[in-house]
Amino acid sequence: MNIDRYTCAEVFARLDDYLDRELDSAEVDLVRQHLETCEKCSSEYRFEAGVRENLKTRLRRIEVPTSLTAKVRAALSDQDATGSG
Amino acid sequence: MLDRAYSYALRLVRNRADAEDLVQEAALAAARGFSGFQQGTNFGAWYFRILTNCFYARHRRRETTADADLDEIPDLYLYERAADLGLHGTSTDPAGELLASIDRDQIDEALVSLPEEYRVVAALYFVQDFSYAEIADVVSVPVGTVRSRLHRARKLLQLRLWDVAREHGLVRGAPEGSS
Repeated sequence: MNIDRYTCAEVFARLDDYLDRELDSAEVDLVRQHLETCEKCSSEYRFEAGVRENLKTRLRRIEVPTSLTAKVRAALSDQDATGSG
Repeated sequence: MLDRAYSYALRLVRNRADAEDLVQEAALAAARGFSGFQQGTNFGAWYFRILTNCFYARHRRRETTADADLDEIPDLYLYERAADLGLHGTSTDPAGELLASIDRDQIDEALVSLPEEYRVVAALYFVQDFSYAEIADVVSVPVGTVRSRLHRARKLLQLRLWDVAREHGLVRGAPEGSS
């Protein structure tokens, strides 16, 4: 079957995969083509993309304790010394 | 690697001390089991798998997650709430405007409140930016399972974020009963 156009429902079913770059190139083209012409789907896409990027950016900001590496190294040394490694 | 592991661990547990303990426990387990690592495969995925297993061993509550309940959460939950607030017609960045009212600690809390199996995939996705295949490798489930868990995790996260925003009065003009 030669599909040359996706419906709104078909695009919505693929929205997660499209946003997460999990679609193959043929499907990407079909979704993109629909988004270019459908304001409703395009609005949903932009919003969901915005939510994901906002959360990813903010959840990745973490201060790692400077003592962590030393703490893990010491624990590994102890494990080696006790012969359980 | 330890920095990334800590970032992941902190999204799984509720405090920094527990996250440090989890990273250390995983490092010790990885050192003990290093002979089980297959050279040429993804070391990061292997170590994150060990860390995930340590997390499950410590924290998994044997609660069953009602998938049916999660499936009842409407899709595009925050999109519809933003529509209720009239943001789509007035803002160039309705998602950013809505989420700007929620601070980082509250986003952390919403993520850590997810049931464990959803929290794990969400943390690997949002914090580590892993692909579905990488998450599947870490969690040892098929890619299709990752896809469905992530879908549900995102829906539940949106619901929790909205609840946080309303509870703290952060969303002005939120219609009653719109949770």
